[in-house]
Amino acid sequence: MKTNSLAFRLFATAAAWVLLVLPIAGAIIYSLYRQEVEVSFDRRLSVLLTVVLSDTIDHGENEPGAPKDVGEPLFEITHSGWYWQIKPLDGKAGETIRSRSLADLTIPLPSEHNIEPNEREMRLASLDGPLEQKLRVAETIYVFGDGKKAQRYSVAVAGTLGEVETSLQHFRARLAMALALAGIGLLAVTLFQIRFGLFPLQKMEQGLSAIRSGEASRLDVRLPQEIEPLQHELNALLKSNQDIVERARTHVGNLAHALKTPLAVMTNEAREDITPLARKVAEQTEIMTTQVNLYLDRARMAARIGVIGRVTEVRPVSESIIRALERIHRDKQLSFSMDCPPGARFQGERQDLEEMLGNLLDNASKWARSKVALAAAPLPPSAGNGSISWLEIRVDDDGPGLTAEQIADPVRRGRRLDETKPGSGLGHSIVADLAHSYSGKFELAPSEFGGLSARLTLPLAT
Amino acid sequence: MRVLVVEDDRDLNRQLVTALTDAGYAVDAAFDGEEGYFLGETEPYDVVILDTGLPKMDGISVLEQWRRAERNMPVIILTARDRWSDKVTGMDAGADDYVAKPFHMEELLARIRAQVRRASGHAKSDIECGPLRLDTKTARVTLSGQPIKLTSHEYRLLAYLMHHNERVVSRTELVEHLYEQDFDRDSNTIEVFIGRLRKKIPPDMIKTIRGLGYRLSEESDEN
Repeated sequence: MKTNSLAFRLFATAAAWVLLVLPIAGAIIYSLYRQEVEVSFDRRLSVLLTVVLSDTIDHGENEPGAPKDVGEPLFEITHSGWYWQIKPLDGKAGETIRSRSLADLTIPLPSEHNIEPNEREMRLASLDGPLEQKLRVAETIYVFGDGKKAQRYSVAVAGTLGEVETSLQHFRARLAMALALAGIGLLAVTLFQIRFGLFPLQKMEQGLSAIRSGEASRLDVRLPQEIEPLQHELNALLKSNQDIVERARTHVGNLAHALKTPLAVMTNEAREDITPLARKVAEQTEIMTTQVNLYLDRARMAARIGVIGRVTEVRPVSESIIRALERIHRDKQLSFSMDCPPGARFQGERQDLEEMLGNLLDNASKWARSKVALAAAPLPPSAGNGSISWLEIRVDDDGPGLTAEQIADPVRRGRRLDETKPGSGLGHSIVADLAHSYSGKFELAPSEFGGLSARLTLPLAT
Repeated sequence: MRVLVVEDDRDLNRQLVTALTDAGYAVDAAFDGEEGYFLGETEPYDVVILDTGLPKMDGISVLEQWRRAERNMPVIILTARDRWSDKVTGMDAGADDYVAKPFHMEELLARIRAQVRRASGHAKSDIECGPLRLDTKTARVTLSGQPIKLTSHEYRLLAYLMHHNERVVSRTELVEHLYEQDFDRDSNTIEVFIGRLRKKIPPDMIKTIRGLGYRLSEESDEN
């Protein structure tokens, strides 16, 4: 998952929320639970205090007596942490009565720590007891005797907080584990939700990639209704793009027709005459013809830039051109051979491939003595550059070939390598321009048949 | 040899007619697709020059209809649309050759000569028949290496007979292939020209086959 992605943003937001909310929720739950435990502990102490007090009073109203049956066995076990104590206050003499569990120790009293009594005249406090026990102490003040004999006594019951703390610790550990599991679960569900939710976008990306690679001309994947309008707009945009290109091509074709007939008339008229003016006109119309061809080629190429890629099978294009050339050059009885596997597909416009192969095959046919051979094959991946796969198309003939110098610079525009055959001299430069516009290559080399071998390297459609 | 030019641009059409007439062809001109189609279907042409962008009916449709009607004369397409897709479309429609505008008249004439030769089964630009030799490039005829002076009508007649040597050619065929459509066709004219030719070449080379026509043959002393 890349940091600059929708998936990461959604996941990071969800994760931050989970990491923030779960600890807060944990703290609140723990605090409520702790409160509940403490209240119930206090309630128990309060009940025990009431039992101790009423049992003491049973011995007479003048002085306290030892309670006989409080009903809590822990008061009987020495240093159990559960104690009761009845102690005379105000420094008066008198016996302090203690539970058996307290032995000869004394429990600290809330009244000695200035704790105010509650509405039931009971003081509650957590205090450090003997033997380093943390105690919760409930105390009430009771007056025995009347008049001058009246004597205040502190009646207290204490319970150790140790077991409460242990229980709270267990609860805290289980709560933390449960919340951690919930957090992991939530994050996993979020991750699934993101993948599932964003899957249509992935499908859309695949659809667009198919358009770019030329396998499709429009976005035809099934998308959820939220992004359907986007799909419609994209398809409309693609259609409009194709229409613009088609219109540009039509206009270019019309312009060619419109200009070339007057040029033909002027050329022929001027060549019939021998005056200086006629010679000038003939010379200038030749230049105009070259310029018209040059800019028409450029306009065609410019119209193609930015066009969504197409895929063209090499074989049918080669077959139709060879068929035409067999007819044009039938006097020479040339033998055309073609080695073109079904997988040889050019990533580009059919018209451009036709133009390149047409010029190369026509050139080869003009010069060949008896044989023209076309071979197309995908290049091994290492032979190309980058991630693009390449297709090599070779057109060989058994004609006279070219000199090393001519081979080195085959594409100077308008220069004809030989003036004895008809042609504009633009063939090779058109081929080179077109090949370069696809980031491809065009090279000449001596052919194994003795003539010229023209080699095109073009993007392969995979 | 009779040629049909179908081209809607009046200036170019005129130039083509002039150049072809000067080169010794009998030329008919049409200025739209329908007229061109009609002439091509009804008259026997040796070559047709056909523009593709024509009013009323485009050149490719004209060509396709001729081929469907089994009109198999050589057709050279003349067009400004010089992309290979256009060329392939033209050739697939049944064209024999393709010339892109603007063109040099010499190149077009060479292509026409090639088509005429091809249609009559000759591979070279020089056609020989006994001591006679026709150079189609220069439109000159020599007899045993000596040039013969011929008028344009004599040249057309002899060139046609040499293209179809050793074959009996009827008077009607000669009239149809040597004169433009509007020419006053009187077959006696042919006899007059045959007579004139017999004075300039060994007279027995052109034989009259009674009731059928004429045959040019290299055997001049046949019995």
